[in-house]
Amino acid sequence: MNPAAAEIDAKMIGRGRSAYGEPALYLAATGSALMILLMLAALLSVLFAAAVPSIRRFGGEFLVSTEWRPNPLPVLKLNSHGKPIRDARTGMKVVDHNEPPKFGALASISGTVQTSAIALVLAVPLSLGAALYLVRIARPLLVPPISFLIEFLAAIPSIAYGLWGMFVLGPWMGGPARWERIFGMIPVPAGIESRLGAVCRHVPGLQWVVERRIDGKLVHIPTTGRDVLTAGLILGIMVVPIITAIARDILRNVPLAQIEGTIALGATWWQSCYEMLKFSRSGLFGAVILGLARAAGETMAVLMVMGSTPTLTASPLNAGATMASTLAGEFPEAATNDLYRGALMELALILLLMSLAFNIVARYLVVGNAVRPSAGY
Amino acid sequence: MPSLQNSRARFSSQIMHGVCTACAVVIIATLILITGYLLIIGLHSLNWRFFFNLPQDNPPGMRNSIEGTIILVALAAAGGIPIGMLAGIYLSEYEANSVLAAPVRFVADVLAGVPSIVVGILGYELMVVPMGTYSGWAGAAALAFIMIPLVARTTEEMLRLVPGSYREASIALGATKAGTIMRVVIPSATGSLVTGAMLAIARVAGETAPLLFTAVGSARLVHDPGRPFPSLTLRIYELSNEPSPESRSQAWSGILVLIALIFAVNLSVRYFTRRRK
Repeated sequence: MNPAAAEIDAKMIGRGRSAYGEPALYLAATGSALMILLMLAALLSVLFAAAVPSIRRFGGEFLVSTEWRPNPLPVLKLNSHGKPIRDARTGMKVVDHNEPPKFGALASISGTVQTSAIALVLAVPLSLGAALYLVRIARPLLVPPISFLIEFLAAIPSIAYGLWGMFVLGPWMGGPARWERIFGMIPVPAGIESRLGAVCRHVPGLQWVVERRIDGKLVHIPTTGRDVLTAGLILGIMVVPIITAIARDILRNVPLAQIEGTIALGATWWQSCYEMLKFSRSGLFGAVILGLARAAGETMAVLMVMGSTPTLTASPLNAGATMASTLAGEFPEAATNDLYRGALMELALILLLMSLAFNIVARYLVVGNAVRPSAGY
Repeated sequence: MPSLQNSRARFSSQIMHGVCTACAVVIIATLILITGYLLIIGLHSLNWRFFFNLPQDNPPGMRNSIEGTIILVALAAAGGIPIGMLAGIYLSEYEANSVLAAPVRFVADVLAGVPSIVVGILGYELMVVPMGTYSGWAGAAALAFIMIPLVARTTEEMLRLVPGSYREASIALGATKAGTIMRVVIPSATGSLVTGAMLAIARVAGETAPLLFTAVGSARLVHDPGRPFPSLTLRIYELSNEPSPESRSQAWSGILVLIALIFAVNLSVRYFTRRRK
């Protein structure tokens, strides 16, 4: 018998019957529940209110413009040949007028899409494979330690991944192509980006990966390691444990009869695994969406690995910015400028709505729309 | 005799078997690689002075940041855990299919996935702007904001596991509902409630983004939450942007201490859950 149940005696319970205890707990509980609703309302309303200057100014163009220009842009006065006019006395180019600052979210949105896509391409197969390994292959003795390791990987704070990405993964990706030894022992090929670049240079149709156009001239993109590819990789490493852990739980819940049935019909190991994956596909999709939500909202790791330069880039070898890293990188400079702050707030609002959408979808897929039984009084 | 198609299926099955094992191996190797780096480089520059010296001392330490993180998390827990638990109690014990419960549960789930940088910005708008200064209060509030939905959902799940017969017995013996909740339902779920709270604490202890524009960080020993407040994560971020190798090794040591803190919380959770069985 549970000791807690044994403790139930009339005397003890009678003490709960004070005049104020009953309504006080109810009010406190209801108030706290309302507080949760209030928190979401506060998020949406505060961000929206602060975003108003930017919404008024740019409207729908904010979503499709790639320009992110916090400072006024001087436009030079040109003569009839299209050459800049120089001041006769100082020799300086004459400024005709200043273009006002302009903000568009597309560069940051595309950075988020690029890094998250790289992360998922890396993480989804690895995670599903590892989840299948845990459910169908691993010896029972091995499962708890591996599960613990994977959950530990999920508990490591993002700034640790950021630091590791910045000082270990980045230089390893962007350095010269040669062999390096991990811990002075295991040799691994370093300089992944220049190797990748060397391949892409010779494959027709992939030139855009290694070249970019600056003022109409094609220039080789230097491999720095501080770019979209490395950021995507580190995000991939970060979401692997999340997707693995959820996928493992979902695969574990596949009814045994389902697996036995496939085996009885003569399916091979993989065919039976494939049926398992097919059976729980909506839950697995939900797990992937949860991983995507994590990758798309991640701030510190991206900020530390590639910084925040909101320019639209096609090549993963360029540095870019995600919505979250733009927010973290530029917010301190924007505090006094209403329009700049408004643009960042609108970006935050887009990020918030996007993560809400991901989480709503994932919630229905993973948890299902099942009605839970109430506690029962 | 096996048909050609059959042997092909068996061959691809073996390949996929190997691929799945390889996936697990790759993930575990990555984990060992990352923790190995953190351990080796972090331990390299870690000594006891690291815990007792301030950043401007020689050799520099992180005493103020470690204390700052502990105070911030304690403040956040003091605000976030009671509110989260009460909301969880509402969802599990008072709900009775009310109009409020479904949206609260839904919103709590959704809030748990909000990017932490957005929470930091909300903290800036709601706390830093009205108060006119970056402060530990704002940082703690941002962390509490993250904790509340996490604690609410785990509390609800844990209280639901308490058998309904306990409640019926208590009510039958003449207890009020509040008495039942406080003296029967919660005591029989204490272990798992502590687990939920500890996991929420471990989660926010490693957060950086919500503190960037709220607590902001400080190089001095600050105990007054009304002022810009130091935190381990903020200090590590700051150090990672400094070029000198000393700063870098300090950052690695800071990460090691942070992970050790989080790991200790996680381990004690395991201890709690195991002892209950």
